[in-house]
Amino acid sequence: MKARDASTDAEIKQVLVTNRDLGFTMLVRSCQPGIYSGARRLTHRHEDAEEVAQDTFLRAYRALDGYSDARIRDLRIRAWLWTIALNLCRDRAGHSRNETARHTGGPNAASDETPIDAASWNRRLARLSVEQRNAVVLRHVADLPIAEIAEITGRPEGTVKADVSRGLDRLRDALEREELK
Amino acid sequence: MNYIEQALAGLAESPPADLERATVVGADAGDLVAKVDSSRGPVWIAWSRTGITGLTPLFVDKTVDEFVDHHRRVAYEADVIPKLLKSEIEEALESGRSMGLSFDLRGLSSFQQSVLRTCATISNGTVRPYGWIAEELHKPGATRAVGTALAKNPIPFLIPCHRVVRSDGSVGSYAFGPEMKKELLLSEGAIAL
Repeated sequence: MKARDASTDAEIKQVLVTNRDLGFTMLVRSCQPGIYSGARRLTHRHEDAEEVAQDTFLRAYRALDGYSDARIRDLRIRAWLWTIALNLCRDRAGHSRNETARHTGGPNAASDETPIDAASWNRRLARLSVEQRNAVVLRHVADLPIAEIAEITGRPEGTVKADVSRGLDRLRDALEREELK
Repeated sequence: MNYIEQALAGLAESPPADLERATVVGADAGDLVAKVDSSRGPVWIAWSRTGITGLTPLFVDKTVDEFVDHHRRVAYEADVIPKLLKSEIEEALESGRSMGLSFDLRGLSSFQQSVLRTCATISNGTVRPYGWIAEELHKPGATRAVGTALAKNPIPFLIPCHRVVRSDGSVGSYAFGPEMKKELLLSEGAIAL
C-alpha cells in the first residue's frame, strides 16, 4: 500500500478515521516538511530539527488512539501538530543551548552543515525574544495564518500580530547594523 | 512581501529523505520490506515492529514497488534486513518449522487471524482438512469461510496454508496453483506420489 503524495487536510482526516495507519502516513508526508522547516529555525542543530519533526508525529500518533472519530474530523491539523512541535522545540532549544555553550563557548554557533545564509538568519532569529521568534517563524517560514499561531501559542491574535511585527523590525535593525559594519 | 519576509520564506528546507520512513516505521504504522533468497526461491518479506506482516515470492511480485502496491499496509524498502530476522526466516523456510516466528496480522478480520494462527500450528510433514480448522475454532459449519481466509494468507510458506487439504484427501486449491501445493507437500513428506 502506498500513501498519496498530495492530500488535503479533509482527505487526511477522512482516512485517519477509516485507516489510522494510512492516514498517519498521509499526515507525515503532507505536514512533516513544514514542521521540519520551522523546527530548523527554532532549534540550533539539524539533528534537533529532525528529532522534533519525528517526535511530533510519534506523539500525534499516540494521541490519536484516544481521539473519537468526531474529534479527528474536527482537528485543525497544522495547529494541532505545531502545538506539539513548539513544546518540543522549546525543550530542544534549551538542551541545545547548554550543549552548544559547553562545546563551542557560544549559544548562537551554527552547525557546520548549515548553509552560511541560513546560519546568519538563525543567529538573527536567536536574538529575538522567544515569543517574537516563534511568531515570526510560524508566520513566515511555516506560513501559518495569525489565527492558527494564536491557537498554537495561546496568545491573543493582536498580540501575535505585534510579536510578528516587532520581530520583523528587530530583524531589519540587525540587518542594517550588519551592513554598516 | 518585503525583503525580510521573502528571505524567511526562502529558509524552508526539505527534511532528510528517510525521515518519513523513520517516522512511519518508528510509530509502527508502516512496514519495511526486503528481498530474502531462500530455499523456496527469492521472496519479499515485510515486517513491522511487532512481527512479519507479509511474504510474496518474486515470481508473483517482480519488483519491490509491485509488492508495496499489493501489501495491505504502507511499506518502505529497507536498507538492510536485520540479520537475526533474516536467518530465522531462512531457517524456517528451509526446515518448514516457523513456530518461533512472530506474525503481525493486523488489518485482517479477527476470524481470518484465528484461522491463520490455527493453521500456523500444523506441523511440517502433516496435513489437516479445512474442517479441522473450523472445528478448532468451534465453528464446524465455517469450512468454506476457512478456505476463503486461507486463500488470502498474506504470509504463505511460513503460515503453511498449503498443509490444509480437502477432506477427501485431494490437495485442493492454492494461491500459487495446486501443482505447487502438491510439490510442497511432497517435499515435506506429507503426501506420497
